[in-house]
Amino acid sequence: MSLKIALKNYFILFLPAITIMLFMPATSFSADIGNCLLCHKYPGISRVDEEGKLKLFYVNEDIFNNSVHAKVKCDGCHTDIKEIPHKHAIKVDCLVECHIIEPASKKKFSHKDVQTFINKSVHGVIDNKGKEKKFKEDFPTCKSCHDNPLYRPISFFKRVRPGISEQSLGRCRVCHKSEDFIYRSYNHVTTRLHPLNIAGVCAKCHNDLALVTRHGLSTKAVYSYGETFHGKAASFLDERIPNCLDCHVSKGESVHQMLTHKDPNASTSEQNKGKICTTIDCHPSASPKLAKYGVHSEFNLTQSPAQYFFTVFFIVLTGGTLLPLMVIIFLDIVRRFFPNASIGGRK
Amino acid sequence: MATENIPASSEAIGPEEDFTYVEGVGKIPRDIYKYVKSDPLGDLPRYSYHIVIQHFVTFVTFLVLAATGLTLHFADLWWAPIIMKLFGGIDMARVIHRVAAFLMVVASIYHISTILGGTFYKIMKKQFDFRRTQIPCLKDARDIVHDIKYFLGKEKNRPKMEKFMYKQKLHYIAILWGTFVLVSAGTTLLFPELMATIWPNPRFAQDLARLMHADEAIMAITVIVFWHWSNVHLVPGRFPLQWSFLTGKITREHQIEEHFLEYIRNLDEFPEEKEYIKKVLKEKGFETN
Ligand code: HEC
Ligand code: HEC
Ligand code: HEC
Ligand code: HEC
Ligand code: HEC
Repeated sequence: MSLKIALKNYFILFLPAITIMLFMPATSFSADIGNCLLCHKYPGISRVDEEGKLKLFYVNEDIFNNSVHAKVKCDGCHTDIKEIPHKHAIKVDCLVECHIIEPASKKKFSHKDVQTFINKSVHGVIDNKGKEKKFKEDFPTCKSCHDNPLYRPISFFKRVRPGISEQSLGRCRVCHKSEDFIYRSYNHVTTRLHPLNIAGVCAKCHNDLALVTRHGLSTKAVYSYGETFHGKAASFLDERIPNCLDCHVSKGESVHQMLTHKDPNASTSEQNKGKICTTIDCHPSASPKLAKYGVHSEFNLTQSPAQYFFTVFFIVLTGGTLLPLMVIIFLDIVRRFFPNASIGGRK
Repeated sequence: MATENIPASSEAIGPEEDFTYVEGVGKIPRDIYKYVKSDPLGDLPRYSYHIVIQHFVTFVTFLVLAATGLTLHFADLWWAPIIMKLFGGIDMARVIHRVAAFLMVVASIYHISTILGGTFYKIMKKQFDFRRTQIPCLKDARDIVHDIKYFLGKEKNRPKMEKFMYKQKLHYIAILWGTFVLVSAGTTLLFPELMATIWPNPRFAQDLARLMHADEAIMAITVIVFWHWSNVHLVPGRFPLQWSFLTGKITREHQIEEHFLEYIRNLDEFPEEKEYIKKVLKEKGFETN
């Protein structure tokens, strides 16, 4: 669950924004700029937008406070809102400097660095010759992949399991005194998205056939992943199976720096991909030949004709045997119900 | 001795194909099964206890394999997680699938050994008769045509068929083929790391194994559900099930209807059966000797 989803899923009580304002005490209009929830805590706060869709502006405080951005004040992101009541808000820029001071560098914090990783990756809009890539609107921005995720920490002390490990926290407490700081930092470094959510994020583009063809990719990657045993196990929420990032991100690098498999530096390049499989967590004793298996096989006519015809063969075989057999059994049953019926007379 | 070539006598009850003359009994009309009494648990031997055990192991493991396998194959459908929970999660399901597969392979080996051993024994004792086996022959094709004509009302009686009629032979071939495909593809999937080093083109082999295992399984399941279950469970008169799968015996009525020639042999093998059928013929006013 995440803030955006919470916003979407919430059962909408349509109450025009004006109604809320009418019933609000006069004092609230002079409210502190930080106190956005004064109005936004009301589930009915909504408006029909230009396209005729109902938009909900409700912010669930509980969910927000458990999200990774809980420490950021509303106007840390919605920087254009300077007075209350406020006007139409402009879109949030994820790379703004917010009011949080990064403890190590003591500078104002910003996600700018992530963008530099993206720029270097296959998802960057500028290619390595400095030219803008074609169809640049197809490339993901922060908000194509991220909403406001909730903490989903994983405890790894003796066993890996969901939740917070008290034993680990004990170590933090040796130096750090603020409980709040300890919890947040622990959550921050241990939180990971669920494999299915990661695939879901990528599916927006990588299952879109038009986009896939436009960019000369060979597969609807999330679909083909879902056809393999990796993907199938993922749909049963198996945490140990590899998700997109385990294979596409080189160990120790930012997840934002995925490269095309044609790039020799990519983890998925012909030279490197053997190492993905044989990592300690996966198939440590396997031969690098294991990487020769297809992890994104699609059995269509152009890419794998043999496999395609093989599938056709099985469909024909199934249909070709079952249909005649069913005709026979059908006639048999009819005959048992009408023992004396005959078509065109008996000889 | 049973024979089909005795010329019809003057008081024939119909053309030759409508009866069979048996020494010591008389002419047995083809449709006598409509008048006989049967024990629902079965009157005449059909399967040895080896076959009964093999069928039992195969069908139980088949259902388990199908349930666990389909759930994995259709992982993204809404019911998959529910079934997966019933099997105790994906790790447990994986173990169950493999144990069931192992047992099924054991049953297959057991089956092949009994068939080979039994055949060898019969050949030695000069009792082997290929007409009483699953070996397909031209007669089966003729029987299909005849049977369809009967179903359409163009023939008076069903064909005279052997111990295994065309349905069973087709089904048997399907099982041989299906087991072979599933076991070989399953073995490839079971040892991915080893197989990667063995196959000349690992990607192709793995793709094929994945395809074959799933496609053949779906084929087997549809054939079992639609064809086998209709035949042995749903057809009027057989509903809800026939006990032969446990008793190894077939009912007299069924034996005469679908395995007439085998029944004629039974008459030779079991004198009391001869007496019984004679009694029925007399009661129904047919001539006996
Ligand atoms: C006086 C009540 C009130 C307060 C306080 C308030 N808002 Fe709003 N906000 C509204 C209403 C009403 C709307 C719906 C506006 C509309 O109908 O266009 C809204 C809409 C929004 C939107 C969506 C705007 C759009 O056009 O898409 C954002 C973003 C927003 N508010 C952020 C904030 C932030 C951040 C704060 C705190 C700094 C805040 N609001 C404080 C009443 C309030
Ligand atoms: C980490 C940055 C961040 C923080 C902190 C934040 N928001 Fe937002 N908010 C966003 C983003 C991103 C969107 C998506 C719309 C966009 O791109 O502008 C959004 C959307 C909204 C919307 C709906 C606007 C729409 O167009 O659908 C409302 C209302 C809103 N925020 C209110 C708040 C309130 C109230 C708070 C404080 C409790 C808050 N936000 C804190 C980043 C933030
Ligand atoms: C192609 C999709 C994609 C885009 C675009 C993207 N991210 Fe991410 N981001 C991810 C994924 C996937 C993760 C890893 C989540 C996990 O493992 O829990 C992640 C993780 C993060 C993290 C956590 C630290 C880390 O590196 O694991 C931050 C912070 C972050 N992203 C910020 C951003 C910002 C800021 C932008 C825009 C400049 C951005 N992301 C663009 C997919 C994306
Ligand atoms: C907003 C759309 C969008 C999203 C979301 C997105 N991608 Fe992409 N991705 C693209 C486009 C467009 C390309 C093709 C780039 C090109 O043409 O060079 C691409 C290319 C790639 C490639 C390189 C393919 C190659 O040539 O080998 C990988 C790997 C990749 N994406 C992985 C991911 C993963 C993993 C995610 C999810 C975390 C993701 N993408 C999310 C649009 C997206
Ligand atoms: C088991 C490792 C693995 C996983 C998991 C995985 N990939 Fe890949 N992916 C690869 C490899 C290796 C390649 C290089 C091409 C090849 O060998 O098939 C690749 C290729 C790709 C390509 C380029 C395909 C082309 O030929 O144009 C895209 C896009 C892609 N992956 C996206 C994804 C997405 C999205 C996910 C998650 C749903 C994902 N991958 C999961 C290993 C993986």
